[in-house]
Amino acid sequence: MTIEVMVGNKAAATAAKLSRVQVAVAFPVTPQTTIVEYLNEFITKGEMDCEFINVEGELSAQVVVQAASRVGARTFCCTSGPGCLYMHHPMHDTSSLRLPVVMAVVHRGNKGMQPDHTDLMSHIMTGWIQWYVENNQEVLDSIIMAYRVAEDMRVRIPIAVGYDGYILSYTAEPVDIPDQEEVDDFLPPYKPMPSLMPEDFDPKAPLWWRVPWEEHHKVIVDAKEVIKEVNEEFGKRFGRSYGNGLVEEYRCEDAEAVIVVMGTIASTARDAIDNLRAEGKPVGLVKLKCLVPFPYEDFQRIGSEVRAIGMIDRNVCLGVGGVGHTFIRNAIYDLEERPRVLGFHAGLAGKEVKVSDIERMAEKTLKAARGESISPLVEWI
Amino acid sequence: MERLTIKDIPLEEYTITPGSACQGCGPALAARLVFKALGNKVIRHGVPSCPDSVTRTPHTFSVFESAGAALTGISRALKVLGREDVLAVGFIGDGGTYDIGFQALSAAAERNEDILWFCKNNEAYMNTGIQRSSATPLYAWTTTTQVGPRGRGKETPRKNLPFIIAAHHVPYVATASIAFPTDLIGKVLHAKRLRGFRFIDILCPCPTGWRFDPSRTIEVARLAVQTGMWALYEIIDGREFRLTYKPKKLKPVEEYLRLQGRFRHLTDREIEEIQRMVNENWERLLKLDEMGEFPL
Ligand SMILES: Cc1ncc(C[n+]2csc(CCOP(=O)(O)OP(=O)(O)O)c2C)c(N)n1
Ligand code: SF4
Repeated sequence: MTIEVMVGNKAAATAAKLSRVQVAVAFPVTPQTTIVEYLNEFITKGEMDCEFINVEGELSAQVVVQAASRVGARTFCCTSGPGCLYMHHPMHDTSSLRLPVVMAVVHRGNKGMQPDHTDLMSHIMTGWIQWYVENNQEVLDSIIMAYRVAEDMRVRIPIAVGYDGYILSYTAEPVDIPDQEEVDDFLPPYKPMPSLMPEDFDPKAPLWWRVPWEEHHKVIVDAKEVIKEVNEEFGKRFGRSYGNGLVEEYRCEDAEAVIVVMGTIASTARDAIDNLRAEGKPVGLVKLKCLVPFPYEDFQRIGSEVRAIGMIDRNVCLGVGGVGHTFIRNAIYDLEERPRVLGFHAGLAGKEVKVSDIERMAEKTLKAARGESISPLVEWI
Repeated sequence: MERLTIKDIPLEEYTITPGSACQGCGPALAARLVFKALGNKVIRHGVPSCPDSVTRTPHTFSVFESAGAALTGISRALKVLGREDVLAVGFIGDGGTYDIGFQALSAAAERNEDILWFCKNNEAYMNTGIQRSSATPLYAWTTTTQVGPRGRGKETPRKNLPFIIAAHHVPYVATASIAFPTDLIGKVLHAKRLRGFRFIDILCPCPTGWRFDPSRTIEVARLAVQTGMWALYEIIDGREFRLTYKPKKLKPVEEYLRLQGRFRHLTDREIEEIQRMVNENWERLLKLDEMGEFPL
């Protein structure tokens, strides 16, 4: 174990190296670009044994890792904003073919270079597990965990690990780097299923292996249990875990209201919650890490413990609303007593979200919890 | 290429012609010949096309637009797993090669990926019901280049894809025809022994799309070559050029065109125009053959 001060993109590349990725693809796009430069550096120096392919675009990037994963290599790809959107079609197939590809998505919105979560969220229906992480340490840890989850035979579904561009990609923080042997112990070599080698060829096997919709959906829903297990085991081995792997609660005890955030806003929100708690205001924080599969059970539990939830969405599903807001309302619908669910759109196109902004959103949520009338229910910050 | 006689063609069959193929399907025959020559140490990659070729080999299938990337992934994974004894083989239509798959194809060729790419070229998108591709010849009728007061079929000649691929300086580029099986298999066997990017464009008449009687597939395929509409050659390392079939005299293109409903509307002048183009092209190819050099 060593501590190194590194930017988010180096943490991502380091995680790929520690995970002994065998095939990596590269196509630059701001703010992801330096990941592929770090990977190239590791490989060129001989620190990493990996086929590195300079593809001609992200669509091909996704198809290369899909095919390589099918043959039996552990694969890594990474992208941002437009590149992430460009990959859409083959992403469906990577999931349908149940291939454990892991991808880092360095968030960049589609209205400029600055981050929001609309890039990865545009892929909600592709059948990828989606994690949104908070800091550089979580980038590194989550990529390693992602391989363990994705390659678990109960899952075999690709995983995207998203983190906010600039705020993490180019910002240095101390990162605790686990030893290679420890990671090797945690992450056994990948084996494709079924084998694609000529000597194993079975003429009676189905022509092309695409899982039917219902089964596909259930596998992703059930992956929640594996994510929790792997998060817990990671915690035991490495001394760090992230809530239950799906959501992370901060100072939620006796809370009358909670705010829910994703990605880097969580760090700012911790300060806001500390300030409000210091003033005696019973507000907690929930970091939503795993958007797909959506942790319905956790929000049902949280929803039955508080009287209001304020979802801060760094996204908008145009013409529909905040993605987190919509999903949480769906989750709590069946409760006997439902909390109120407020929505906030904040931090889109990289707009700064300050501690004071979050305090205000949390206070508004607390007011709603206490039965005061609030308006509007959904607000743009 | 390797020289062989019809007796040297392997007897093993590695393809099953699926029920979806029409009678007299050119691409189905191309698959049969190609995979006989390749044997079973192959991972075949396919994309949407017609008919669905079925090989008794492992296979993968993915998006229409990116066969070059899929084959790259297969080949690199085989390398990293120490299984370079297995060939990464693409068997892809002209749409998946000349058009939507062109970008990833060019990229894989430029990187000189260790791949064998066969284009089963039936000169249109047949799977979706006979729409033009950039491999469709001048004046051919398709459902998107119709014939009427404002249309004479396709307005432009096909793109010269084998030359474009050769300009990537890859180890091997060849054209072939299902009516010349020893030439075709000789090229496949040669390509199989090389490493790096190898590309063989096989003209495969399609009775349904070209509008001719299914009993005449081989005749049509043979006439394409004998008239110079589809010349047979190979280009090695993007430098050496060799015609592999050189008749003393080409047959008139009319013999080829008149057999096919897709050219039924052609006037004498249009046929003459095609004849002129073919003659000029043939002269150029003869010169290249004589020099033995590919000029790009
Ligand atoms: C991205 C995408 N666009 C369009 C299609 C529809 N489509 C399927 S096969 C095909 C044409 C195939 O043409 P070609 O490659 O020439 O093969 P052929 O069917 O002629 O053998 C098209 C347009 C598709 N499957 N995917
Ligand atoms: S339409 Fe043409 S290519 Fe397709 S199966 Fe029929 S003959 Fe073969």
